[in-house]
Amino acid sequence: MRGHRDLERVTIAAVACALVATLLPWELVRLIAAVPLAVFLPGYAIVSASFASYRLDPQRLLVLVLACGLSVLCLGGIVLDAFPGGIRTLSWALLLVLVVVATARGAALRRPRATSASRSGARWSLPRLRTVDVVCGIAALAAVVGALALAYTPLPAGNASGYTALWMLPDDEGPADAVRIGVISAEHDSQAYRLRVGAGKGGKIATYRLELEPGEERVFRVPVPLQANRTSPIRVAASLYEEDRPRELYRRVTTWLPPGEGR
Amino acid sequence: MPALKSRAFGARDAGRSLAANGPSPLLALFLCAGLGLLLCAWINALSREGGDPSQVPYWIGVLLIVLPACYRLSLRDVSLRERFALVALLGLSLYAVKVVRDPFLFTFADEPIHAYNAEQVALHHGLFNENPILPVTSGYPGLASATSALMSLTGMSAFGAGVVLIAMARLLLVLSLFVLFTRVSGSHRVAGLAVVVYAGSSNFLYWGVQYSYESLSLPILIAVLAAFAEREVAAPSKVRAWAVPIVLGTLAIVVTHHLTSYALVIVLLALALVARFSGKPRPNPWPFVVFAAVAAVGWLLIAAESTVGYLGPVLEEAFTSTLHTVSGEAAPRALFQSSSPAAVSETPALARLVTLAAVGVLGLGFLAGFRRVWRMRRDRPYALLFCLGGAAFFASLALRFAPRAWETANRASEFLFIGLAFIVAYGALRLVRRGTRWAERKAALVAALGTIVVGGAIAGWPWDAQLAQPLRISAGGREIESEPVTLARWIGEYAPEHKFAAADADARMILAPGGARAKTGDALAVKTILPETELHDWELPLLHDHHVGYVVADRRRVATDAVRGSFFFVPGSEEEALLPIASVHKFAEVPLGRAYDSGTIVVFGLGDRP
Repeated sequence: MRGHRDLERVTIAAVACALVATLLPWELVRLIAAVPLAVFLPGYAIVSASFASYRLDPQRLLVLVLACGLSVLCLGGIVLDAFPGGIRTLSWALLLVLVVVATARGAALRRPRATSASRSGARWSLPRLRTVDVVCGIAALAAVVGALALAYTPLPAGNASGYTALWMLPDDEGPADAVRIGVISAEHDSQAYRLRVGAGKGGKIATYRLELEPGEERVFRVPVPLQANRTSPIRVAASLYEEDRPRELYRRVTTWLPPGEGR
Repeated sequence: MPALKSRAFGARDAGRSLAANGPSPLLALFLCAGLGLLLCAWINALSREGGDPSQVPYWIGVLLIVLPACYRLSLRDVSLRERFALVALLGLSLYAVKVVRDPFLFTFADEPIHAYNAEQVALHHGLFNENPILPVTSGYPGLASATSALMSLTGMSAFGAGVVLIAMARLLLVLSLFVLFTRVSGSHRVAGLAVVVYAGSSNFLYWGVQYSYESLSLPILIAVLAAFAEREVAAPSKVRAWAVPIVLGTLAIVVTHHLTSYALVIVLLALALVARFSGKPRPNPWPFVVFAAVAAVGWLLIAAESTVGYLGPVLEEAFTSTLHTVSGEAAPRALFQSSSPAAVSETPALARLVTLAAVGVLGLGFLAGFRRVWRMRRDRPYALLFCLGGAAFFASLALRFAPRAWETANRASEFLFIGLAFIVAYGALRLVRRGTRWAERKAALVAALGTIVVGGAIAGWPWDAQLAQPLRISAGGREIESEPVTLARWIGEYAPEHKFAAADADARMILAPGGARAKTGDALAVKTILPETELHDWELPLLHDHHVGYVVADRRRVATDAVRGSFFFVPGSEEEALLPIASVHKFAEVPLGRAYDSGTIVVFGLGDRP
């Protein structure tokens, strides 16, 4: 690739982007590296290899770069799927770098001897911006950022029904018979509850009081005292009441614990 | 008269002065697009607050994006680079309208299904994982493969990676169209206008940018067609260079979407035939026809056998329904009527009028453009193909009256509109030829193009679903999410390895995180079992035999609507909005354990019984 500065830059950029995308933990930084690595650099290298000395105008070049880059992404997974290890961060990074290096090498071999133009790379000149252009550009960017900020900001919706979810699952992790019970509040305001848990007919009922903020979840591990050597399944029921309406059942969940000796 | 003349000169001077001292046109249009997007985001925010804002400002926002670009693209003395940039700005700005509508999660019907495929790739490090709702998608892993690359390299979820990927696909679509139209017409002015007309396709604003396999394959198809157009006029020594992007694009389409790959074969075959009989020396694409056909059929046989069972009944139903409608055996489908029982409002008369006007404008544009294209360009295979495509679009409109064929017509329009847009652009240019009343005619052109874009968008998506609905809202300074989303998160955390039977919207939300599986609709008779008020003997054994661990009983009627069912429940009339309580109690009477209860949604464990 020596003498073809664009190909050298593409190859170095691919390696750098792969390192950033695989090693850094920050999503946004990785995205900034991943998009060129995944689409633009392989696309450019493939187009360079296939067109060699044929100069494309910027419009056609960009279309082909995007088309080839996206096509490589569609097909790359199928290639990786066939290899042991499959589709992972490292395998994608290696594949894409390999595509870039191989096709850039192919482009360098197919191109005629480097001219001074290719050595120095394509000359890009930015249009001269006046103050009014800068102001207009900043205002446009501000409008776009404002639109995105507005879109990504959750807003209150008074007439949307708030709700509370109650759930219960057998606790498989504990040393004794127990259930896990969770209460998730998606109410509009802070809400106080009373949770009553009982096992079998006439069993002791445990009562819990809790107060949840909107979006908050509380999970309880509730031991279920059971008779040893029981012969029939036992029904465990959890009932949730709103504190200000103690007689009105709000939510109920149930589960059946199988017969056995208990754990 | 002299006074009028001097006023006209004054206005022209003022215009020149503004052009000299004002910002560059591209930046001014960027500002217009930004303001339009801001307006769309604002109206969507009002709608997400649970209000019922007027849609008029929203459409004004869309027009703020479209009309200035139309005006600029219709001018004669605009550079190729500027038109190219304008087309990119238009495509991305209209895509952003969809992004600001759905900023938190995928909510379109197909999106969670494909998100599941992508999340499965991340989970199992391999492709071809089974999809419980739309099994055919697992045979076309192109989208999942591309998304998995971005997910792996960025650490993003399928949602984030999908939004970025579809943005690039949309960019490719508009730029490829521009390059294709420029090559065939020889005029970048025609090409720019044709891209704006294409934005009037009924699927352009929403359906075509959902996270779905066709949203990725269609742009690649157009890029391949553009490459063929370039190859046709390339110097003999350079013809081979175009083979690489064509072959790569063809393979990518074949592994990404069934219909697009078949459309590619048909288009290439038509091009080869036209090239064969035109008698002019130009490279015939027949080797690529054979290659694309072998690749598509080979892929169908090797990896995507279920495609026949998926597409066959759809096409058969469309055909039968058309016959029944034509013969009078079945009533025609009423236009602007949603088939969903959950649709809450009808399309207003003005919106219907705009849509019908758009079809009328397209018809006039086609008639005006057809003569010109036929006279000037009929020696070009692509121009002939575009004429055919445009005519076929109007023929396909008749299918919209057949109840089971309208969707086929709607899907076909994305392909046929390519030809139509090209022809209509020629018709549009006739309107702004130099002559008397030029300014008025230019204004009429911009208005006509605006009508086409807005009318197409209205036709392509239910009126009551155009704006965002509450999905994630703030309450007491914190965030809460809708019942189906909370259910899906709970399942993702506590029961990700299980299989669920759920209504359409719930099942899609359950799938999206990529762990748990969900069956819905006709599969395992879920559509029958969930809403009925008592269970039949065969129903639970059927679910049990297919390893369904939990059944999700959702009283919301809207839950069967994959477009409207994922949002916060906004109570209206209880009888209309909720199923009878017995539809939930029938499971409790078995008795099955109730694992989860959020009011209108209750999850029962099929194995949790005495």
